[in-house]
Amino acid sequence: MSTIGITLNGERKEVPAGASVADLLNSVGAESQNVAVVVNEHIVRPDARASVLLQENDQVEILVFAGGG
Amino acid sequence: MSSLPAWLTDSRLSEDIEPLLRQEDSESLERLAAEAQAVTLRRFGRIISLYAPLYLSNFCSSGCVYCGFASDRKSPRRKLDASEIEKELLAMKALGIGDVLLLTGERTAAVGFDYLRRAVEVAARHMPRVVVEAFPMSVVEYRGLAECGCTGITIYQETYDPENYRDLHRWGPKQDFHERLETPERVLTGGIRSVGIGALLGLSEPVGEALALLRHARYLCKTYWKAGVSVSFPRIRPQEGGFQPNFTVSDRFLARMIFAFRIGLPDIDLVLSTRESPAFRDGMAGLGITRMSIASRTTVGGYVEADATSASQFEVCDDRSAEAFCAALRAKNLDPVFKNWDAAYNNPLAAEELA
Amino acid sequence: MDSLRLGTYTFSSRLILGTGKFSSTSAMIEAVRASGTQLVTVALRRFNREQAEDDLFGPLSAIEGLTLMPNTSGAATAREAVKAAHISRELSGSPFIKVEIHPNPHHLMPDPIETYEACKILAAEGFIVMPYIPADPVLAKRLEEVGCSSVMPLGSAIGSGQGLSTAEMVKLIIRESNIPVIVDAGLRSPSEACAAMEMGCDAVLVNSAVAVARDPAAMARSFAKAVVAGFEAREAGLMPRSGAAVATSPLTSFLGAAS
Repeated sequence: MSTIGITLNGERKEVPAGASVADLLNSVGAESQNVAVVVNEHIVRPDARASVLLQENDQVEILVFAGGG
Repeated sequence: MSSLPAWLTDSRLSEDIEPLLRQEDSESLERLAAEAQAVTLRRFGRIISLYAPLYLSNFCSSGCVYCGFASDRKSPRRKLDASEIEKELLAMKALGIGDVLLLTGERTAAVGFDYLRRAVEVAARHMPRVVVEAFPMSVVEYRGLAECGCTGITIYQETYDPENYRDLHRWGPKQDFHERLETPERVLTGGIRSVGIGALLGLSEPVGEALALLRHARYLCKTYWKAGVSVSFPRIRPQEGGFQPNFTVSDRFLARMIFAFRIGLPDIDLVLSTRESPAFRDGMAGLGITRMSIASRTTVGGYVEADATSASQFEVCDDRSAEAFCAALRAKNLDPVFKNWDAAYNNPLAAEELA
Repeated sequence: MDSLRLGTYTFSSRLILGTGKFSSTSAMIEAVRASGTQLVTVALRRFNREQAEDDLFGPLSAIEGLTLMPNTSGAATAREAVKAAHISRELSGSPFIKVEIHPNPHHLMPDPIETYEACKILAAEGFIVMPYIPADPVLAKRLEEVGCSSVMPLGSAIGSGQGLSTAEMVKLIIRESNIPVIVDAGLRSPSEACAAMEMGCDAVLVNSAVAVARDPAAMARSFAKAVVAGFEAREAGLMPRSGAAVATSPLTSFLGAAS
């Protein structure tokens, strides 16, 4: 299976070619969390995550709310 | 009658000062004086800024019951032409004056916007600060004056009581209470850097007037936060025509009002003119008052040669010379100045910089 | 009690809480509930599998009547703050955004220039913009002009517990402001929160003082009472401060006897 390299939360990661954003969330255990996903500065809404496919060198951020003042 | 603006009736804008105005005992008066003195010293140091009035004309179209210039008064009318204005200004400069207030009555054919603008141009050549007290104008007209070197406009509401206002302004353009009330805002919108407001004390119930005036000042400061606002305390004086004010405003009440205003408006100039006696002026300097007129002539012109014939707007009570008055202030450890070091910063506020 | 109006929202509580520095999410939730607050601020961070159970969005969303105000903490520029705001709105559905831009990680002082730029953009986009700022009266007016729904001047540096060290500046801001003024940061005790309200603040935001207390929920309750006390005292009409001591030579003798 071929893989592509992306950056996830600042770290380099290999993912299967053709993986969707939803697949990525599954693979990191974020599928049932309230998360925001940003791919290359674009917000990817929940209803689009299954259809947006990752590309080589994509910059992905998965974000949640945390405590803060 | 359209409704009054919210700020005028907003008791919350004056609730901290209202109790101070309603007290009547000597002990509280002394305490207020001390606090006003402390606030003034902290904020203004010992400086008293000085200016002198130059009446350009006594033509008037209005019928204000309380004014010596009212159009039904029978006294000679005069207006200064440009060269006469220049001569008066030079005479004023020779007396040590460096800050002029140009005055006219209400708008007339003889004295309108163009006349005033020309006067400002002439004055701006000689004086670093040119303030105008004249008829209400439009935003466009105020911008015109600003561009000619007008650095401030003084416009008194006379009274903030609309019914009384109507009774006192028998005819003429000054009859419109709301137009007058909105004038300070047009001044500042037109780019003039500062506005002076006031009520003619004695026309209406004094505590009510004081509260309205305080609210007006605070509203202007909050809304036009880049502009200068000052408050004057003209008190009705006897004049030709024999108008008797409805209310007597005692020295003690006026002093209390000034102290309260200083405490409530710690940063703005509070102004006292030569309507008041030497003793009152000397006493109040440094206890809240930070700006005063001097060597006043309230007839038209009058600095080149005394004018005994034409009407005066009010009787001058303190007629000391500039020198004598400055000496009195210095004796009180105060520092009289004609502010002239910020001429470079007196340019009108560009439209896009306005609050 | 008069309601606090922020944008199109009204709140009966004038205590806003931050959610950071608590020993655990459950401690934070307990404090939030105890305080009666209706507005809390949260930050964005990267998802981390190990910390997944610490999700606070779920528990916070379960509190009835609570609105979230995400903040842009972590952003060092206007651009980053705007980005954070978009992501936050996406995640929370809330139109509130606390614009918090502190490029210096030591003193955490807010950057006035980046804050202004970010607020201008976000206000135009329809956010309810709540900028965290130095206690600067001119900056406060400029932010009001570009459409912020409040200004939040700091009392003292975040977490420093130095109280209302900026009181005189905050008073100037209150005097000139046409929008709510909310002291945020540095408040250490309920009495300081009470003093801020008596001074004329419309609300206060407290985080560290509650989070690091031995009993955060009790501390939160105490702050809530103090905020109510201060607000009600002000509304009831505080006695004016008496002036300076009477001078030995009376200043008013020139006025003569009562006339």
